[in-house]
Amino acid sequence: MENEISHGNVTHGASKGKPESPRVTCSDSTTTTNNNHNNNSKEQDRFLPIANVSRILKKVIPSNGKISKDAKETIQECASEFIRFVTGEASDKCQREKRKTINGDDIIWAITTLGFEEYVGPLKLYLSKYREIEDEKLIFPEQQRQELQKQYHHHHHQQQQQSEYEQNLGFNNNNVYSLLNVLSHHHLHHHQPPCFPTDQPFSLPFSSNSFQKQLQ
Amino acid sequence: MRQAGTYSGILSGGISGKTGPHLLPLARIKKIMKKSGEAVKMISGESPIVFSKACELFIKELTQRSWMVTMQSKRRTLNKEDVASAVMATDLFDFLVNLVSESPLEMDTSKYS
Repeated sequence: MENEISHGNVTHGASKGKPESPRVTCSDSTTTTNNNHNNNSKEQDRFLPIANVSRILKKVIPSNGKISKDAKETIQECASEFIRFVTGEASDKCQREKRKTINGDDIIWAITTLGFEEYVGPLKLYLSKYREIEDEKLIFPEQQRQELQKQYHHHHHQQQQQSEYEQNLGFNNNNVYSLLNVLSHHHLHHHQPPCFPTDQPFSLPFSSNSFQKQLQ
Repeated sequence: MRQAGTYSGILSGGISGKTGPHLLPLARIKKIMKKSGEAVKMISGESPIVFSKACELFIKELTQRSWMVTMQSKRRTLNKEDVASAVMATDLFDFLVNLVSESPLEMDTSKYS
């Protein structure tokens, strides 16, 4: 009953409480198509895409474990609720402080206040790396970055060996290579290509295609 | 390890709204944020970025806790009831209690307008 309504075995009638767009017309009564319809209309505004959610949750269960469709959908909905919950808190803070824009720090504050302190460490790191990369964007125009990227890839192929570069790069546990760090050494050691530890495949932030694969 | 990709991929995804190498699409996150209240008008470019990571952590935690329930029942398929149990058992997830105990479609979005 409940399952039918939410996961679409039904055609037209069950629009009770359905807040989604009226354009959902389930003319096909097969389960798969209706589920897709429901997912599409749900997903458009209210939820994160189920495929992305699936990818994440598969990372934390064993490879022989399975997740039912309704569990995935429930988690998908919970994620949206999480966003709303945290945003609401962050928004209140901005209002109190008479600021108009919710920024990353507000989100982190709200997350802490609501009890998710454990997330804060990784989040702050993530945010600081993002900011660093954004700053680099300002300094280096796109063309120049791509040119540098080609050079590094070329050198990387030629020489893969450990050196004092590794210490001097000053990267953290997450092995993100800030372009600024790398460039400062490129500048100093003019004729010597930057060297990177062999156990870490080096990826510059500016190549879009390779990361698609990495994150799959 | 491919960790570099997760962070360095931020750049190509950027704030343009493309899905890109982020695990979660930024434009969608932004939409959901905006629906959380009338007062939410302006969102900095980095907010969806922070959320994409926060949601990833949240989804992982919720799934892990749910999976523990599944294992306790000696099953290999995580179902909706396991998620509900995990929510009930975790104070941190109190805000989800209504969500897991009713049909999703009955949850009226007017709550959030």
